[in-house]
Amino acid sequence: MNTTFDRYAGIVFFAIGIAFVIGSLGISTSAYGSNVGANIFPMILGSFLSLMSVRLIYETFRKQRAEKSKEQLDYKRFGIIFAAAVLYAFFIEDIGFVISTFLFLMIGFQTMQRGKVWVSLLIAAGFSYGVYYLYVHVLDGSLPGFPAWLGGA
Amino acid sequence: MSTFEYVLHGLGTAMQWHNVVFVFFGVLIGTVVGVLPGIGPMSGVALLIPITATMTAGLGAEEAATSSIILLAGVYYGAMYGGSTTSILLNTPGESSSVVTTLDGYQMAKQGRAGAALAISAIGSFAAGIISLIGLIFLARPLSAVAIKFGPAEYFSLMVLGLLAISGLAGKSMVKALIMTAFGLLLATIGIDNVSGVERFTFGVPELYQGLEFLTVAVGMFAVGEVFKTILHREGNDGELAKINRILPTKQDLKDSAAPIARGSVLGFFIGLLPGAGAILASFFAYIVEKKISKNPEKFGKGAIEGVASPESANNAASGGAMIPLLTLGIPSSGTTAILMGAFIMYNVQPGPLLFQDHPALAWGVIASMFVGNLMLLILNMPLVKIFAKVIETPTKYLIPLIIVFSVFGVYAVQYSIFDLLLIMGCGLVGYFLSKNDYPLAPLVLGLILGPMMENNMRRALTISNGDFMIFLQKPISLAFLIIGLLWITVPLILKMRGKNVLVNEEG
Repeated sequence: MNTTFDRYAGIVFFAIGIAFVIGSLGISTSAYGSNVGANIFPMILGSFLSLMSVRLIYETFRKQRAEKSKEQLDYKRFGIIFAAAVLYAFFIEDIGFVISTFLFLMIGFQTMQRGKVWVSLLIAAGFSYGVYYLYVHVLDGSLPGFPAWLGGA
Repeated sequence: MSTFEYVLHGLGTAMQWHNVVFVFFGVLIGTVVGVLPGIGPMSGVALLIPITATMTAGLGAEEAATSSIILLAGVYYGAMYGGSTTSILLNTPGESSSVVTTLDGYQMAKQGRAGAALAISAIGSFAAGIISLIGLIFLARPLSAVAIKFGPAEYFSLMVLGLLAISGLAGKSMVKALIMTAFGLLLATIGIDNVSGVERFTFGVPELYQGLEFLTVAVGMFAVGEVFKTILHREGNDGELAKINRILPTKQDLKDSAAPIARGSVLGFFIGLLPGAGAILASFFAYIVEKKISKNPEKFGKGAIEGVASPESANNAASGGAMIPLLTLGIPSSGTTAILMGAFIMYNVQPGPLLFQDHPALAWGVIASMFVGNLMLLILNMPLVKIFAKVIETPTKYLIPLIIVFSVFGVYAVQYSIFDLLLIMGCGLVGYFLSKNDYPLAPLVLGLILGPMMENNMRRALTISNGDFMIFLQKPISLAFLIIGLLWITVPLILKMRGKNVLVNEEG
């Protein structure tokens, strides 16, 4: 058990719970045809969440700090892929599904393991266009196509 | 109409050619999902929802829902089959409910009996699928007939029971599970309140008016979160794959495993019925029972075929059993059934007691398709097990970025919003940190799905009682549910305080 994480998580959940309670104070207390408003449910739950968080924080103080097994996490690879994924999500409508997916896959494959560029290129291109073709042309779904400056819609 | 006639009608629906194709793809994809590391049944089902939505676009509303659910349910029980393959061949369970299978399955593989172990798990899964199906057929109507009499107070308490049960058994810490449940329910309150029309916790962000979409949160938490974990922890399949020699089990194998399969199936089915006690508990219980009643328990863990037959049957039977509370009460009892329920709601079909009345073709069609699907799985798995085993060798290098692409594609195809895409990345990050620190994710998603229903029923009940909360205690059925719910979380707590070991469900 990672007590440090639990303590911070407890504080965050406590804050979230309180925020929901405060937020629900501003919601009208009754609805038309009913004397029970939209505020009761979040208020009860918010209080419950903060109570449980207090209990969690209390537990982290009671429990002895467990021996931490230091595991080397691969932050670099994760950082690159995460950043690429966020950019991919952000720009998908601007540059279209095929191009953004291709770029993301290339970065992803090469970050996971360098080398075999041609294989990566082939899979990334085949996959991004293949999924687009299947979904848009065969299944009649809708995905952002190619950008306008490439002559797409 | 009698139940028998309904089943025949359902079979008629299930045997329509497009539904046969759907169930085939469902079980095929499910098996692959079960075999592949990094995607479990939950993320598998979530990822496929948008694809099925498009595939069924040409059908009528109810037919589309039927076909989609048939495919998604196929993925669910197909993954239960697939999970055993990696357990046996690689000593790494493909999904959590196959953990027990590694104990004897891998030992059998090391002794050169991998084929027999795989075949027995396929046969056991098939038998279990059929037994749970029979249970489903006989219990579905009486249960929904009882549930139809429930008022809002009873419904609210039933959902409280469901959520408490899931929290009581999920993960290592009950406090954490309860936090996740409450958090999920709170997230469900974001958006425009559908009773009064006021906006809640949206902070003027238009994307939040609709509320957080369950699909986005589920895909982010389960699929993307799992991918992040694989990257950060450098997980992969480095183990050596055991060879498969002879696929057909011997007569002695069949004789040894017949009774364990029967026991595992029945036990698994009943455990599957209970909310919160998913396939993983079923397989653990089945294994323990087999070991207890065995004449020579010392052979367990050293390659006993009973140790493969019973838990593998149990986890499949549990997935069939878990469909009952979903279909009849509208209460999902596990993470995967919660996601299935989300799919029902997406199609404007409300699972619950009225399902069998309002959408008989859908309800019985799905049930009957489970029979067809199980048969297909048996036929597929016996001769093709060697091919499925090859799937394990898919390099993580390609798999990981592809799962992210599928998540993005899946969510975008349904939501058409960049906001949701960014949300899946955020949820993936949060999901990774939470699950790494033993915060169970299934209660969160469950809370997100049950939240609106729970709130509506609570408010309806309170409107009837003029705001008096005692209504939940004055109605006997509602009171009973609340008491059972309370016991569900206090009994394990007391047992734990007395130093007893309590089995927990670590699914999701």
